[in-house]
Amino acid sequence: MSARKTVHARRPIRKPVSRTPEWVAPAAVVVAIALVVAAFFVVRWYTTPVTPKPLSQDTTAAVVSRITGLPAFEFNAVGQGTANNLIKPVNGTALTGATGKPEVLYIGAEYCPYCAAERWALIVALGRFGTFSGLQTTTSSSTDIYPNTPTFTFRGATYTSDYIDFRAVETSDRDQRPLQTPSASEQQLLSKYDPGGSIPFLDVGNKYAMSGATYSPDLLGGATWQAIASELQDQNSTQAKAIVGSANLVTAAICKTTSDKPASVCSSPAIQDLEKKLG
Amino acid sequence: MSRLQLAAIGISVAGIAISIYLTVLHYAGVVPACVASGPVNCEAVLSSPYAVIAGSSIPTSVLGVVWFGASAVLWAAPRGWIQLAWSAVGLVTVLYLVFIEIVLVGAICLWCTAAHILVVALLLLAVSSRR
Repeated sequence: MSARKTVHARRPIRKPVSRTPEWVAPAAVVVAIALVVAAFFVVRWYTTPVTPKPLSQDTTAAVVSRITGLPAFEFNAVGQGTANNLIKPVNGTALTGATGKPEVLYIGAEYCPYCAAERWALIVALGRFGTFSGLQTTTSSSTDIYPNTPTFTFRGATYTSDYIDFRAVETSDRDQRPLQTPSASEQQLLSKYDPGGSIPFLDVGNKYAMSGATYSPDLLGGATWQAIASELQDQNSTQAKAIVGSANLVTAAICKTTSDKPASVCSSPAIQDLEKKLG
Repeated sequence: MSRLQLAAIGISVAGIAISIYLTVLHYAGVVPACVASGPVNCEAVLSSPYAVIAGSSIPTSVLGVVWFGASAVLWAAPRGWIQLAWSAVGLVTVLYLVFIEIVLVGAICLWCTAAHILVVALLLLAVSSRR
């Protein structure tokens, strides 16, 4: 009896099996997700276009001259193109500028990629009614959506026209530092027609207003100003359909405030058609 | 019902609330209350072409309502592999949406991120419950 007891007591004790701690599986999931998200940021960093060097004054003038000198047949061929019609009729006291002509008011900012896109269309449209000088190239913010979208700034630029006045307010530079401030009356228009404060904001003589971009800034990403200007010469290019189409919409709104002057611009079939669409 | 199940149902209900909020704002054409500075920009994400299910005008947030709704129902049932499988489906969708935000749009929507975190939380609960 006692011998049996001794044998039992000497039986080797089973070592407890070590279990993986409970926190390991959830922690592994979190680490794996973090790695995937980090990989997305790396991909984004690699695919973000670098900031192009601003063009010299002469080259800028040449680019502006090309995009403001597009042939009339191209405007007619493109019509609205792929532009999104964001222009809405508004009922306000006629907005006139410093010289008493109907005013086109633009409020935007240099960092804003949507403003960057819309400036191309505005310059093309306004170029049909007058002349810009002092436009400079710039890009939208490097850290915002659609980074480094090539564009121009209205800061320091002047515009002369026999038909309209143009007033531009760039509220911030591309690093979001404050730049220009809208007047009290301009701020009122912005609050009235664009309560969300989205930019770019455009008021055409207080007859039409819009906020936002009529095409995606994505269309310009990674391109140089010269390349975009070249694309605009081709009425079938994606850029021409978006930018010239947007310019036609703005042109139609302006023509409604200038009583269809000048006829060379406003009486074209494309503009007449878009005027009807604007209402 | 265990505390883990109750927590999962609570998280699912929070996800439903966020998804309904984003869906209602989409149809109302209103931008959600959200920071809009630098890469954090709800408007940029929610107004991008990816904010709707491809080929339709249905906002992606409707998928969130469906997913979180199904999740709440599944967690009310006895625990099994189905909760883990459903959470895995949710994670794959979330990673795709985060890819769109970071790589394609280049902006992050805080409301969407809140919903994504809830999906990951449900996955972690599902992983824990299988041990």
